[in-house]
Amino acid sequence: MRLLLVVALLLSWGPVMAMPSIEIIIRNHLFYPSELTIAADTKVKLIIVNQDASAEEFESYELNREKVIPGHSKGIVFVGPLAPGTYPFFGEFFPKTAQGHIIVK
Amino acid sequence: MWHGRKVLSDMKKIIVGLLIWPFIAVADGGSVDKVYHPYVQPLETEIEWRVLSVGNEQLYRLGIGQALSDNVFIEAYYITNKGHAVAEKEAYELELKWQLTEQSEYEVDWGILFELEKVQHEGVWELSTALLMEKEWGKWVTAVNTHLIVEWGNDIETEIETSLAIQAKYRYAAHFEPAIEFYSAESGQAIGPVVMGDIRLGQAKKLHWEIGSIFGLGYKGPDNTWRFLMEYEF
Repeated sequence: MRLLLVVALLLSWGPVMAMPSIEIIIRNHLFYPSELTIAADTKVKLIIVNQDASAEEFESYELNREKVIPGHSKGIVFVGPLAPGTYPFFGEFFPKTAQGHIIVK
Repeated sequence: MWHGRKVLSDMKKIIVGLLIWPFIAVADGGSVDKVYHPYVQPLETEIEWRVLSVGNEQLYRLGIGQALSDNVFIEAYYITNKGHAVAEKEAYELELKWQLTEQSEYEVDWGILFELEKVQHEGVWELSTALLMEKEWGKWVTAVNTHLIVEWGNDIETEIETSLAIQAKYRYAAHFEPAIEFYSAESGQAIGPVVMGDIRLGQAKKLHWEIGSIFGLGYKGPDNTWRFLMEYEF
């Protein structure tokens, strides 16, 4: 049983192939695009490029993700596989302006 | 290419060792503490206060931490205990957490934790290496920590110990998340409920709290350990 657990964990250490990716730009404390549509039950790589000089944090409790992206740099966030629905996200450093959502169909 | 395969092979051997070790040997230190998650937030600073309470004895830990990069976080702790049955001791600890994979990049998220502790005025050193694993199952998140610990010094017999900590958390709401935690060490096994949550305190500032009551299993170790944790992240 213990050996099976170890083997299962080791086998899980493999790269995910052919994953769709979407680029999100942070500019003037706004997300571009602020609305994304992705397929249900599919893992997606979000490449978040912060063009502002100040840091921003991509955060979503619904997605169970938080990622600080320093100014003039980029961060990677993997989301999914998700059930159909709408998943909001926001920028924790500028929450009044930096808002968006992911629609899963 | 061959070198890369050898490195991967060596890493897998280390991981297998760290995974198996808690099942074949256990640590003599207290088992209940904190379950670590394998993530680092760049630019983050943190002040942490942790208490473990067993009967009339308490172990306090005050730490300050800072992210050094997007995947390395370092934290320094001052540790002291109080209680009627124990002599007061002080210790210092330096901790380094290294995030190895992005969250959900692979089926399991991976990190490594290094801890170096020195008891003040005594020749007692402790070095711990832990493999941190986390897996999301919908609303449930499971975290597993396997520690390999070496103790040495003039005032302690050199020995190798291990411990295991597992947390299964239900993501009910950001401000309230119930969990079950299991700990295993030479002092025994323990299991119990924990609740935790985040309180937002303004722009990119939050307070993370955890409270747990962990019950000893079997004849070894304390019958019950209360654990409290507060982290101010900014």
